Amino acid sequence: MLTVVEKTPVSVEAKPVLRVEGLKAYYQMNYFGVRREVRAVDDVSLTIKRNEIYGIAGESSSGKSSLIKTIAGAITPPLRVVEGSVKFDFGGKELDVYAQRPAMKAARWKHLSYVMQGSMNVLNPVRKVKHAFHDFAFKHMGLSEGEFRAKVESHLQRIGLDPRVLESYPHQLSGGMRQRLTIGLATVCEPEFIIADEPTTALDVLVQQDVLALIKGVQQRMGSSIIFVTHDMTVHAAIADRIGIVYAGRLVEEGLTLDVFQRPQHPYTAHLIASLPRIGDTRKRVALGGKPPNLADPPSGCRFHPRCPLAIDKCKTDNPPLEARNNGRVACWRAGEMEAA
Amino acid sequence: MFKILRDLLRYNIEFAIGFILTLGVFLFALAHFWAPLPDTAIYLLPPDMPPSAEYWFGTTSRGQDVLWQMSAAIWNTMLFGLTVTIVSRLLAVAVGMISGYLGGKWDQVLMTINDTMIALPNLPILLLVYFVMRDSMSWPVLAMTAALLGWNYDARLIRSVTLSLRSREFTRHAVFAGMSVPQILVRQHLPYVMPVIFFTAMNNLIWAIGLEVTLSVLGFSDINRPTIGGMIYWANQHQAIIAGIWWWMAFPIIAVVLLFLGLFLLAISVNEYIDPRSRLSRMGA
Repeated sequence: MLTVVEKTPVSVEAKPVLRVEGLKAYYQMNYFGVRREVRAVDDVSLTIKRNEIYGIAGESSSGKSSLIKTIAGAITPPLRVVEGSVKFDFGGKELDVYAQRPAMKAARWKHLSYVMQGSMNVLNPVRKVKHAFHDFAFKHMGLSEGEFRAKVESHLQRIGLDPRVLESYPHQLSGGMRQRLTIGLATVCEPEFIIADEPTTALDVLVQQDVLALIKGVQQRMGSSIIFVTHDMTVHAAIADRIGIVYAGRLVEEGLTLDVFQRPQHPYTAHLIASLPRIGDTRKRVALGGKPPNLADPPSGCRFHPRCPLAIDKCKTDNPPLEARNNGRVACWRAGEMEAA
Repeated sequence: MFKILRDLLRYNIEFAIGFILTLGVFLFALAHFWAPLPDTAIYLLPPDMPPSAEYWFGTTSRGQDVLWQMSAAIWNTMLFGLTVTIVSRLLAVAVGMISGYLGGKWDQVLMTINDTMIALPNLPILLLVYFVMRDSMSWPVLAMTAALLGWNYDARLIRSVTLSLRSREFTRHAVFAGMSVPQILVRQHLPYVMPVIFFTAMNNLIWAIGLEVTLSVLGFSDINRPTIGGMIYWANQHQAIIAGIWWWMAFPIIAVVLLFLGLFLLAISVNEYIDPRSRLSRMGA
């Protein structure tokens, strides 16, 4: 089910909403005298413009979730930021997630909201849905009780939910309704930036389609930016404006969705795209040899070299930088030779 | 509140029975405020009278009416039990939730205290307190001592529930949305912990009443104040069983059993109100 829809061109603005620079976040553990360091996010830099949907793709254990948690500022030890910065720009005011914690805390939910992994369970099972809205959003909106209730009800109606769900308990609702509610909860304050971690995992294809359309609709109406993570490439194809491919904690390729699908520049991306099923294609798909590297002891040089069919000696010793190429960015010594290969 | 009560009575037979039993015992205990004679007075009535139209439950060897003695005794015993339960619940909830949610150093310190308390035997400590306090021993002091000994198992239980809630998505969401620690504990976690609190409160109430009866039967309390255990203590002192004064012992024991039963049924059915899932499945909604 690979459908690349035509994207409305993103209006280019001078200042990006999110700027991540040289971000390094490691899980650092020190148990019984043994130090272990897992480099889950290693030197990631990216920017996200206003009104843009940015998808992060990669296989399991590649550090996608760690990256997104670090961007949200929702990390707890042992995951720590070692280097780099995450800066948001909300209405001209710049906020550094790790340097201005109190201001950041106040901005959360109002300007920056988060749809978490397993978000079907975001609602407290023993409290009515209306209490979740009240707990999470009320104090950020500065409205009276009555206005708040009216606002929540109209918001729910817009995302296709009966306001009566406010009076129910989560177990009385279906999975799709709960997912809608979670998105409703994340968007009720009309934030400028939404972070979504696997928002459609565990949903069937139809509900997934529905939820994606909902996210897209809300995003277009509010003009907010979204960064989302999923390993499901069809979801990326459906809603992302740009895609970043993460491998072993590093961003290896970034580009417009259509470019990434049609002209992947990094060998890993090429294999990822080639692995997708296509209607009418009966070719047997060859799996990439090896397995994702252990991030506690990553390979030297380019982290993909042990599995890369194009690897040369240089790949084993030197780490390729993420450089602009063909309208996107790619981190590969042999990026230019990819098309030829 | 009235609607909740009505629905519980209608849909839940355990609640209805428990409610009627507890209400009956409570009203009976309440009646001691209108007793014809003060409950500490002795030898004002003919002693050892069997149950009759004049003395429904008979009279004791000390010349007291068993009916009015029981009424006051149940009141005092319930008061003791409830005091212990409320104080020990407050301790258990506070320690359990703080320890489970904050973890780290808080957890280590609180659980060390908790485990030490678990290891201490209750009865010898209560006897020690009695012998140290001696004449200044009153029921509130005894209740406080019992409360300080009665929270630790439940604190561990509540800690384990909070520990599992800490890593749930709704907690992470609440933290991200900027809810403070007290807000998360009270609004997000407390409703979840509530059935545990109710059920342990029930066990604790039964334990406290049992403890009071044990101590009073042995005479380690204020023996002039009528309690269920105190009545049995005096019956033993006057060798009521050997003398055939069975009504002096039988009626207090029946009363306390009915009270236990009523409270137990009430507790298990109140859980159903608190846990929305079981409530709705019972009502067929």
